[in-house]
Amino acid sequence: MMFLARRTATLGITVLLASFVVFLIPYVTPGDAVRKIIRTRVAGDVIDDSAVQALTVELGLQDPLWVQYLRWLGRLGSGDMGLSYTSRTPVIDQVLPAFWITLSLVVVTLGVAAAIAVVLGIAAALQEGRTADRLITTVTQAFIALPEYWLAPMLVLVFALKLSLLPSAGWEGPASVILPVAVLALRPTSYFTSAVREGMLDALGAEHVTAARSRGLSYSQAVWKHVIPNSLLPLTTMVAVWFAGLLGGSVIVEVIFAIPGMGRLLYDAVLNSDIPLAQGGVVIVVGLAVVLTTTADLIHRLLNPRLRMHHA
Amino acid sequence: MRALLPLSASMGFVALLALSGCGFSGGAGGAESSASGDQRIVVDNFRAPVAGWALESDSAYILSLSGCLETLTRYDEKQGKVVPSLATEWKQVAPTEWDFTIREGVQFQDGSELTAETVVASLNHVLEAEVPARAFSPTVVSGIKSIDDSTVRITTPSESPLVPYRLASVNTGVLSPAAFEDDAVDPFGHCTGPFTPVSEKPKQSLTLERNENYWGGQVQLAGAEVRFITDGATRAAQVQTGEADVSLSVPVSSLSTLEADSGVKVLKADSPRTATLYMNNGRAPFDDVDFRKAIRSALDLDALAGSVYEGAAIASSGPFAPSEPWATKNIEPQGQDLKAAKELLTAVGYTVERPLEIIAIVERAEFADVATVIQANLKSVGVPVTIQTKEYAAVEPDLLAGNYDMVLSQRNRLIDIADPIGFLTADYTCEGSYNLSHFCDEDYDKLIAQAAETADTEDRYRLYSEAGQILQEQAVNIWLVNEQAVDAVRTDLQSYIQDPLSRYVLRAETTKPAS
Repeated sequence: MMFLARRTATLGITVLLASFVVFLIPYVTPGDAVRKIIRTRVAGDVIDDSAVQALTVELGLQDPLWVQYLRWLGRLGSGDMGLSYTSRTPVIDQVLPAFWITLSLVVVTLGVAAAIAVVLGIAAALQEGRTADRLITTVTQAFIALPEYWLAPMLVLVFALKLSLLPSAGWEGPASVILPVAVLALRPTSYFTSAVREGMLDALGAEHVTAARSRGLSYSQAVWKHVIPNSLLPLTTMVAVWFAGLLGGSVIVEVIFAIPGMGRLLYDAVLNSDIPLAQGGVVIVVGLAVVLTTTADLIHRLLNPRLRMHHA
Repeated sequence: MRALLPLSASMGFVALLALSGCGFSGGAGGAESSASGDQRIVVDNFRAPVAGWALESDSAYILSLSGCLETLTRYDEKQGKVVPSLATEWKQVAPTEWDFTIREGVQFQDGSELTAETVVASLNHVLEAEVPARAFSPTVVSGIKSIDDSTVRITTPSESPLVPYRLASVNTGVLSPAAFEDDAVDPFGHCTGPFTPVSEKPKQSLTLERNENYWGGQVQLAGAEVRFITDGATRAAQVQTGEADVSLSVPVSSLSTLEADSGVKVLKADSPRTATLYMNNGRAPFDDVDFRKAIRSALDLDALAGSVYEGAAIASSGPFAPSEPWATKNIEPQGQDLKAAKELLTAVGYTVERPLEIIAIVERAEFADVATVIQANLKSVGVPVTIQTKEYAAVEPDLLAGNYDMVLSQRNRLIDIADPIGFLTADYTCEGSYNLSHFCDEDYDKLIAQAAETADTEDRYRLYSEAGQILQEQAVNIWLVNEQAVDAVRTDLQSYIQDPLSRYVLRAETTKPAS
């Protein structure tokens, strides 16, 4: 209980600190934010100074930063993320649809990555040192070296242009999910596979497995009942960490595949100096990331008897 | 229970996808094709609306290219002049007053009538915007009123022959009163154009249906979808796969692939954009015209156009593209002349103790390569150059304050109206608000002031041409290459006319045969 209270307090402080950092980001990027905003709203390079001054006052940007921060935090506390500087529509109306899109992309990506990793990781561990193990390890490690900005166009070239099997971009039906997920899933698959393999090898050599075998359990029964469940524990934390990372870090894939998710929303918001939109988007991503990692930590402790006992 | 888990997980994924708007109607083939007259096409546009559908913003371009938004006049590229659209005629009735006669029998897509009153109401929304469009702001328009049922009077603060050009700007598109009932502009069903926007997937696409009551004649296509695809390579891929029928502004890197595809036609047109090496005329050694000419003589513009731009741009011969009606005729781009450059540098007493700096703005990825080519060219005449790559917003204050040597940038001369007066005034007059070159010449200013009051189009264009010659003679900047607007269309698309500014894409006459 104490642990839960401590983690909840840490979570609150982390979110508050993150909100301050997030609030400051647009102000430390180079250039005059008001001029950037005007450029997104009217065509052309030439900007009237009177328009700059009027918009500065209208948006309250002449106030000291701490006043702006407290005003923003107060509104945020009541669920109001303000209006987008460029579209003049509520930030929440733009963030939520984008969030759902990225959430679904990330859930499918991590689901696919975890499923593949479990199969490959178990197979590699059970074949330790043999050809299958070396092959799985080499191929999955190679996935890490494939950059998204290269892999995405390559997959489009093959599956959309040459084979006409899949759409090249868009968010229109399950077929359009396949290529982005394939690109996003490669690296987590690699890391997950490695984690499962290591977890399996640790568990295979654990005393309680040996003890179980001595009680008459067959090798396969011991693997199913004692080795695999333990080997999957590290995966929960890894999935949570990747989940948080991909929520805001899928920008390249979202731009290339024209997916209107959080990555693209944040990218456009920063590009257009749309401060409330950037702040709203990052707060959601960071908030969720903190909640997810904390939850994963709790689950990990709950499922792992050693950690529970250590804590006790 | 075990058997149910994977099923429930799958259903969870499906529900999540459905919740995120990833429906189940799509597939690899984007453009549907069924019976004749029911054809629909897909247009890939390079930008999405960022400011809602506010008419003073770039969103007006999207509504215009989509065949929804129409203006009182429109600029005809072929004729090089303003032609009627929702206004049938116009007349300057006093030095500061213009009367526009509104076309009769035009209905908005919501069934309401287009009248002088509705036009006034719509234009006033643009004029009263928080940040008004440059083409139609209180600086250039002081009043709008209806004289009778079919006449709109526009008043300007000073005499201006350019009011018909201002009303060709897409920012002055006319929407019905219902479009302005809420805080945000709602164009759905409230335009007058050949296509009615019916639904929008934010940041993704706009779906349009044929306007059965279009005043301009029968609309051939049943409908269209305009997709917002910001990545150029993706736009190029979509026109190749047939997912899109038109891809606007395809990148240079995709040109060779597209040109080799028999199902795709690549269209090129001079655009009003010139990549320019701005020089700080207000600071030594650039304050000496001979030094600026030396720099110009050292550059190989043909090689630049052929290498960095891969043929998608042509070497520039001055501040205007050769096809523009105000460009000086029959002049060739100045070739590289290293001997002349070295002689001029010696004459002005230049020494390597004064190295130069070029700023390449990161918003244009190719400028880093352009800067490298220029650096090599100048090195061959003994001028050391360093290159800085920076975000435009970060360097703008220094550029306006005159704290720089050279900067690579690109300007759209016709961004506000289809006339270069705004560009020539802001960029090169002594008091110009965007005079990055810090150039000041009395003769030039007189020409521009005269042009601003000249109603006769030919006379005005002649004055622009003379102004352009002054800029060229003074080597104010080095106009490097005239960029081309490059669009790619499927070969089966018919009656498609390329617009270099992508204002008019979906037209009533555009059609596609049934496959």
